[in-house]
Amino acid sequence: MIVPYGDVLLLAIILFLLGAVCSISRRNLLMILIGVEIMLNAAGLAFVAASLKWSLLDGQAFVLFIFAVAASEVAVGLALIVYSQRRTGSLNADRYDSMKG
Amino acid sequence: MKTILFLLLSFPFLGGFILAVIGRYLPRRVAEWIACASVLASLLMAALAFGSAGEKRYLLTLFDWIQVGDFSASMTVYYDRLAAIMALMVTFVSSLIHLYSVSFMRDDRDYVRYFCYMNLFVFSMLVITLADNLVFLYLGWEGVGFCSYILIGFWYSDVVNATAGRKAFILTRIGDVAFGIAIVLFFLILDQLSIFSINSKVASLSAGTATLLALLLFWGAVGKSAQLPLVVWLPDAMAGPTPVSALIHAATMVTAGAYLLMRLFPVIALSSIAMVTIATVAAFTGLFAALAALGQKDIKRVLAYSTISQVSYMFLAVGAGDITGGMYHLFSHAFFKALLFLGAGCVIQALHEEHDIFKMGNLRNRLPAVFWLYLVGSISLAAIPPFGGFFSKDRILLSTFSHPEPIYKFLALIAEIGAVITVLYTFRMFFVAFLEKPSAGKDLAKKDLKIPKFMVWINSPLALLAIFAASLNFPEAFGGKAWLAHYLASIPGGIPLFPASTPIERSMEIGSGLLNIAVLIAAYFVYRPEARSLGWPTPLVFRQRLEELLSSGFYLDRLYQVALVKPYQAMARTLWLKVDEAVVDDQFDATANIFRFFSSGLQLWTTGRLSTYLKMLLLGFTAIVSALALGWYYLR
Amino acid sequence: MTLYAVIFYVLAVVILASTLLAIIQRQVIHAVVYLIVSFFATGLLFYLLGAPFLAALEVIIYAGAIMVLFLFIVMTVRAESGEDKGEIYHWLPAVVLAIISFFVGGVLIFKIPGSKMSLNTGMASPATFGQFLFKNYWFPVEIASFLLLIGLVGALYLGRQESKKESEDRR
Repeated sequence: MIVPYGDVLLLAIILFLLGAVCSISRRNLLMILIGVEIMLNAAGLAFVAASLKWSLLDGQAFVLFIFAVAASEVAVGLALIVYSQRRTGSLNADRYDSMKG
Repeated sequence: MKTILFLLLSFPFLGGFILAVIGRYLPRRVAEWIACASVLASLLMAALAFGSAGEKRYLLTLFDWIQVGDFSASMTVYYDRLAAIMALMVTFVSSLIHLYSVSFMRDDRDYVRYFCYMNLFVFSMLVITLADNLVFLYLGWEGVGFCSYILIGFWYSDVVNATAGRKAFILTRIGDVAFGIAIVLFFLILDQLSIFSINSKVASLSAGTATLLALLLFWGAVGKSAQLPLVVWLPDAMAGPTPVSALIHAATMVTAGAYLLMRLFPVIALSSIAMVTIATVAAFTGLFAALAALGQKDIKRVLAYSTISQVSYMFLAVGAGDITGGMYHLFSHAFFKALLFLGAGCVIQALHEEHDIFKMGNLRNRLPAVFWLYLVGSISLAAIPPFGGFFSKDRILLSTFSHPEPIYKFLALIAEIGAVITVLYTFRMFFVAFLEKPSAGKDLAKKDLKIPKFMVWINSPLALLAIFAASLNFPEAFGGKAWLAHYLASIPGGIPLFPASTPIERSMEIGSGLLNIAVLIAAYFVYRPEARSLGWPTPLVFRQRLEELLSSGFYLDRLYQVALVKPYQAMARTLWLKVDEAVVDDQFDATANIFRFFSSGLQLWTTGRLSTYLKMLLLGFTAIVSALALGWYYLR
Repeated sequence: MTLYAVIFYVLAVVILASTLLAIIQRQVIHAVVYLIVSFFATGLLFYLLGAPFLAALEVIIYAGAIMVLFLFIVMTVRAESGEDKGEIYHWLPAVVLAIISFFVGGVLIFKIPGSKMSLNTGMASPATFGQFLFKNYWFPVEIASFLLLIGLVGALYLGRQESKKESEDRR
């Protein structure tokens, strides 16, 4: 007996919202990416909990895929950030508003 | 016969069409040849038809035109004796005027446009002359109105001319509306649009219907022929080239109104109210126009008012029931008025576009040929015996006088006064313009423009006809052969309704002839060069007022301006500024502005910044989850 | 209150605290380090919830590769610090929305049946997990490897140094 299933999910939700807040309210591009990582992690946690609840391994398999995707996404995302920093010299998300209007 | 009539109509039309399409690329002489040849060919056809027609009347369909359900209107012609001689006259006068125009417009660069529209005009006039189907006739009616508008405003770069053309068009249009209504009524009541059938079925009309129809037709004729009250366009129409004035406003278009009434005479004769109305309007128009002509300074305006007056005689004839008299006067008027206009054209060109008769003078020496031609025309216009004008006008006066209703006697008196004043204004014009001015030197002749001899001599056939038109219908009371009367005896109205008895005829003719000669002598004393004045000796102030009254045509133009034109323009301006722009246009703008307002509000959303979009994502996520929660909460 | 429950709650507190601290930091490096702590704790949590293989992977990949990558980038890129002044209008909407979502989410969780039930303990050994994975989900595994290849190529291309000529072409 560990904990009620709902508690684990609650933890996952709080983590997810923390990641969302970080992603939305920070202007630094790197912090936005970090928020995304936190959200992905929270989703993984929820999957593991569900997999334990239903005693199925599919949830864990999906967490593996989340890891893979997160890794490649971070690689490409960071490469993009570096590139755009070279282009515009700033990591502030507010500077990238040429699509305004 | 059918071919001849078809060719009669198509030659001018083809001429106009060819000139319209390729006239610009042809050499000048070729274009002029095409124009004149088409009208001359038409004349030939008219002569052929006249010769071969004899006693017969023809009702021929040339072309099936409109066919819609129950309604069909085909291009039918009704060639009876009335149409025969009218067609002959129209083509003859048109040919002469076309030849004259070649010379008159020799310096003008727009000759293609001119000749194209002259040809189309001749076509439309021939359609009016020959048409049987009323819709076909309406086509010709509108055609002459349109060509007249174009030709009056021919030199359109001067806005005065364009305005004159527009004025003519609008006023004749007012008349055309009534004519259109009459056509519709004919169709509704009689189920017929053919003149021939209408004339045969006329007995089935009640007097009231006939009155209505006759008055509508009369209103249409009033517009086209410039009678009161739609009279003000004709004096202004003198802005066009002089041959145009000669053709349209002397010989053909203005007589089309009278001609229409003559064609549909059985309908009109059925209603005595209509006849009286026609005669009254005609008589008063005649007097009005004659008085106005007395005050004009421009030679063409004198002739314009004179036309109004003379055409009113033709209407008076219709009102009195004498078609033969009307046609007789129509012919002799066509000849002498065309002669006068063309002569005036020669004078105007020779004197460098001078229109004011008080600035002309001494033309006997400067333009001798024109002097004699103009003299012939003036004598004919003033109805001095033995020239044609006298017999035709007198016949009309006679018919009016011998009408049994008492009002006709009064109208005959008015018309007689008009005739007297005709002598006055005609010879005022002649003496002032043509006789020697005492102060003029001999060297004036050197400054004149040399006009081509052709232009002057082409008028001689007209002069001859003006002199010998008397023989067309020499009254039998004096032992002559009234050839025209016999010719037209077979058409309805050909025989006057109330023929005068011989003694009255004789005494009236002799009396009016002497009267006219007396007035001529009086006019000489008043208007000879030594005694230059407007007229009778009167105090100066009174004379000035009188001059203004007459020269402006009894202020009729100004009355229309104030009563009709200005309110209409004011209304149009109000509707434009207040209603169209303020309400209609601004409504669209307001509707568009609502959208603009909303979209500018929405525009605040697209900031282009990542954080905004991410916020929106979270907002969306919240919304979905809340919806789910609510759903689950309530489903439990 | 079993031992496992205690461990769980402790780990939960650690995770929440470190994540909270991570998202508040001004300096990105500090945030990354706090996040590494958070991921470690998450890894332990995975182990508690019966996924040892995933716990290892979490530490290796997430904490070990991804966060280290972040560190490299942060140190390489010369970013101006003090970008975020922490204005209230930046984080207030986010926090408000987060709180709303939290309550709604909470309602959702506690309405589903079985949320009050305690989880049983279990352990999926790596061998079992591997067999399961390659029996049922071999295709997504291949796709995932392909995805990683694409990411690799993309990162290489984006990260290359541009020659003079290329940067002039762009201008």
